Amino acid sequence: MNYVIIGGSAAGVTAAETIRKNDKKAVITLISDETFPLYSRCLLTYLIAGSIDESKLCFRDKDFYKENNIKTYLGKKAVSIDRKKKSVSLEGGTKVPYDKLLIATGATPKTENIPGVNKKRVFTIRRIDDARAIIKILDNVNKAAVLGGGLIGLRDAYALRQKNKEVTVVVKSQQVLSQMVDADAARIIATLLEKNGIKIMTGAAAKEILGKDTAEGILTDGGKRLDCQLVIIGKGVNPNTQLASAAAIKVEEGIVVDEFLKTSDKDIFAAGDVAQTYDVARDAKRINALWPSAVEQGQIAGLNMLGKNVSYEGSLSMNSVDFFGLASISMGVTKPKEEGYEIISRIRKNEYKKIVLKENRIVGMVLVGDVGSAGVISILIRNKIDVSSIKGKLLDERFDYAKIMPLVKKFKDKFRQEEYQDTIMTF
Amino acid sequence: MEKHEERSYDPASQKMIKKAIDEDIKIVWDRYDAQKPQCGFGELGICCRICNMGPCRIDPFGEGTEEGVCGASKDTIVARNLVRMIASGAAAHSDHGRDIAHTLLMAAKGEAHDYHLKATDKLARTARIYGIDTKGKLTEKIGEELGEKCLSEFGQQHGELRLIGLAPKKRQEIWRKLGIVPRGIDREIVEIMHRTHMGVDNDYKNIINHGMRAALGDGWGGSMIATELSDILFGAPEPIRATVNLGVLKEDYVNIVVHGHEPTLSDVVTEAVKDPELLSLAKKYGAKGINLAGMCCTANEILMRHGIPSAGNFLQQELAILTGAVELMMVDVQCIMPALSSAANCFHTKLVTTSPKCKFPGVEHIELKEEKALEIAKNIIRLGVENYKKRVKERVSIPKEIKGLVAGFTTENVFRILGGKYRFTVRPLNDAIISGRLRGAAGVVGCCNPNIRHDWAHVSMVKELLKNDVLVVQTGCSAIACAKEGLLTPESAFEYAGAGLREVCEAVGIPPVLHVGSCVDNSRILLILSAVVAEGGLGEDISDLPVAGAAPEWMSEKAISIGFYFVASGVYTIFGTPHPVLGSPNVTNYITNELENIVGGKFAFEEDPIKAAHMMIKHIDLKRKALKLGPAIHQHKKTPALKT
Amino acid sequence: MKTKTKDIKIYCDITRCVGCKSCEIACAIEHSKSKNIFAAVKETPLPKRRVETQNIGSKIISLHCQHCEDAPCVKACMSGALSKDEKTRATIHDKEKCVGCWMCVMVCPFGAIIRDAESHIAVKCDLCPDRDDPSTGSGLRYACVAACPTDALFAGTKEEFEKNLSKKKGNSKH
Repeated sequence: MNYVIIGGSAAGVTAAETIRKNDKKAVITLISDETFPLYSRCLLTYLIAGSIDESKLCFRDKDFYKENNIKTYLGKKAVSIDRKKKSVSLEGGTKVPYDKLLIATGATPKTENIPGVNKKRVFTIRRIDDARAIIKILDNVNKAAVLGGGLIGLRDAYALRQKNKEVTVVVKSQQVLSQMVDADAARIIATLLEKNGIKIMTGAAAKEILGKDTAEGILTDGGKRLDCQLVIIGKGVNPNTQLASAAAIKVEEGIVVDEFLKTSDKDIFAAGDVAQTYDVARDAKRINALWPSAVEQGQIAGLNMLGKNVSYEGSLSMNSVDFFGLASISMGVTKPKEEGYEIISRIRKNEYKKIVLKENRIVGMVLVGDVGSAGVISILIRNKIDVSSIKGKLLDERFDYAKIMPLVKKFKDKFRQEEYQDTIMTF
Repeated sequence: MEKHEERSYDPASQKMIKKAIDEDIKIVWDRYDAQKPQCGFGELGICCRICNMGPCRIDPFGEGTEEGVCGASKDTIVARNLVRMIASGAAAHSDHGRDIAHTLLMAAKGEAHDYHLKATDKLARTARIYGIDTKGKLTEKIGEELGEKCLSEFGQQHGELRLIGLAPKKRQEIWRKLGIVPRGIDREIVEIMHRTHMGVDNDYKNIINHGMRAALGDGWGGSMIATELSDILFGAPEPIRATVNLGVLKEDYVNIVVHGHEPTLSDVVTEAVKDPELLSLAKKYGAKGINLAGMCCTANEILMRHGIPSAGNFLQQELAILTGAVELMMVDVQCIMPALSSAANCFHTKLVTTSPKCKFPGVEHIELKEEKALEIAKNIIRLGVENYKKRVKERVSIPKEIKGLVAGFTTENVFRILGGKYRFTVRPLNDAIISGRLRGAAGVVGCCNPNIRHDWAHVSMVKELLKNDVLVVQTGCSAIACAKEGLLTPESAFEYAGAGLREVCEAVGIPPVLHVGSCVDNSRILLILSAVVAEGGLGEDISDLPVAGAAPEWMSEKAISIGFYFVASGVYTIFGTPHPVLGSPNVTNYITNELENIVGGKFAFEEDPIKAAHMMIKHIDLKRKALKLGPAIHQHKKTPALKT
Repeated sequence: MKTKTKDIKIYCDITRCVGCKSCEIACAIEHSKSKNIFAAVKETPLPKRRVETQNIGSKIISLHCQHCEDAPCVKACMSGALSKDEKTRATIHDKEKCVGCWMCVMVCPFGAIIRDAESHIAVKCDLCPDRDDPSTGSGLRYACVAACPTDALFAGTKEEFEKNLSKKKGNSKH
């Protein structure tokens, strides 16, 4: 069997690894348009912040491809898929035939549609080349502007602040992290960021990026001018669906896949930031462009490419950030817009907790400060457990695994993995 | 090193430990191993069981809770636990003192005919300290008044304990200023229990300061009364030669071991074993006679006054039974392991309890009644003699190890020995220190503990001190440990003492290590220190003296109380394993650092006996410097620290 | 599914756990520089335990990393710090690679990964690598198991644990 994977990040590499683990003889080919192998995109802001160097960027051993006997085309962009001939064309004309194909092409950062975005020193951070370019000019930067007050924007700002840059975050809404948390929790985080020297400008958007060829500042829609030597646009990502669309594979928001992560073509699978999968919290199809989801999907896609028929339980949107020692974790539906949700929350100094329930099942949560119970809650969301018996404990400081043991026992069929059963043998 | 060698430094003990291993008899070390690892909260003192909202504990690694249910901090919890240990230790010593005072009173009133007021000099002297007019009074009358006075100090509510007046003036003023002069012996102990009750004192310094008050009530009260009145009642010790270690048990004799702390019954037993009827009974059963040996501090009491051999210290109590040659072990109070009854059950040994305060389930209890002490003692010995029949010859194995020692040093006779019969003075001691022939003096005392190789820390520390011209005074199990090593003989000065100390020992004819008695007799050390201050030339207070104390193998709560009365009296005191205080950096700092500026003494914790010895030497040198004395005449190279 | 090495799993007999937290203390000491309680409490940074006693009502469990076969933390780790040991199937954490993103904390259903705020990296049960002394026997391979005064903790396979449970039941007088 000839397995071809387009994409060399979390989903692609995990799929290749999974195929190899299960089939020592398979021919595996991995195509990536980047030359730096096996690096973790999520670490790029850590690289910019100087808390790690490039040697720490990799999430697998540098000999991973060799050791797993995976043929690679690195620095080669896949330009088209010929589904009839079952081959992928690379730029330069090389054709790579496949029996099973995985599209794990990831996503591209959203940018701003304003004058000046193409000037020098205007960046998004997605690829190693972006990070390297930023690091290269960083010595000549005193002030930086970050457009976007979501997780991505704040992470970028945090990285620059750690390099002692004067950073201003321009946020369209009235609070940071508006997609994720309520105003109260946002205030805790924003206050901490500001205390540590990150300026936050809410209710403002960049109207124009100033400067000749090179960014020298931004002009806000309120007419305010902010001088800076670096502009970073941190506003989320769009899936790279072009390759699939061009091959007439069904695409909606992302590439549409079934529970086996199979696209509309039975020999083509999709995983990671490009795939539109079932979201367990929302009970709907959605792209959850997250590292853990990409790894999971890569694993499931790999197994199904091998013909194992493993269904994917679905993804759960989640994120974890830590700014200046304040950890925040969010998961699932955090700001429900419709009726029918129940919210329990609590705010304290430097601590915020919010649990969103629907019909006594947790569908989302936000924890700021005390995040220790995030994992336990995540499994309640994933397994759609009726938590009415422990609702009163959910916000407790010591809401820990022991508190859900009666539920683990009661819903044995949902906590199927051996490890859960091990804990309740004597319970 | 094999297991039995790791467990004890003493070859006699090693043999018995080996025997226990071979015969699969579980003894203290096995139980210690079974307890390991021991509770970290307990070791650090951060577990509170004081009220029923708890038990509470503090996470020492800062991840869990920082306070108990009531809000008690780790400082409060540690301090309360610590002073409760003082309360228990002081209670034990003081209750011992009370019993002695009670017996003295009965003897004086003629209600206990087997006791006599033997040391009349000391009776008169002590009575005068208590403000009793002795002129023209009969000994019995003086004894009665003194007994009453002493007894009244236990329940005294106001004023100060009388014996406090024996401390240097400057020292007394420090205590008064700090408000820690004990008012009554029991009162301060009771007040510890009150203050540490839920929701009372939670200022750790205030708690510990009161702990010192109760401890002073032990050292300068209960213990000192025990010592002084025991001397009056049973005779003031004089230097006396005796023998020590399990080898004192005799194969062909009825072996009687008396174990515990109080001399009240054991002193009478020394008479009872001479009873011709009992001796002929023993011979009838084929024994050559009756051999009496002591164990722990009961041993020290009758060793000091009668030269009765000591079979060993605390960790040897089961080992004595393991020889298979002990017909009877009579116990009174304190440091008697509950395990003794099962050890005795493995052999023919008869265990007899004698104090109403200390009974064992299933063990014969023959209670001491002062009114007929000798009769009771004989009855007990008779049980032992009768039991000789049951001895299983094949199971008898007595280690041959036996060492000579000189015991019997006291505050009074140290003066005479040093100054001569007609010139009672410690002047030569002060002079020797001033000249630098002696670097200083150290008290090495305390228990044994299976958490450190038996006897090893005592012996290593004392040898190191001797080598560095530090005169050592000892009590309790520590003295027995060093006696077994032969350090308590005048001859040992040639082998172990530095040149300066050797000169002094040769000149006066004393061992370089002076055995001053049981653990209540640590009060003698307080009085010797006060006498040295009074003699002049070495400062005005105990805290000025080039001296230090140590309890390298401590185990009991009494050790904590002793430690605190020494520290509160101005003595730098090193404990081997730490007090259970390290869970509170504040309390630790208070007792190991800040106290020095308050009472002149402080604690240190150091498990390596050689390192600890050098910490003491360094302290002694600092004190010499402060007194503007030159360094010790003879300097030695430092021995590298040992590893167990 | 791959079988685990004989004794990487630590089981807790909830009927015997009294919540004394000896396992927590022993774990912290085992992960200290000095490996001595009196010195460990003075270390900076303080050593971190990787086991926690948790309760539900009167029932107490000493909870460890379960070394899940299909470990969510490994899948969530974006820095490659967490992985499965190919031989033992233990879930291992490379602190050199950890950046403290807490993705693992976010997904561990047992809450068995702890944030070390000082060093800003995750800490978890590492199966006492410094105690890897075959002479101590399997049960004593782990500091927590050795410290457990009630024999609630057990290291071994599920079958061995079950056998041990029934043995204990047989021994009990009731």
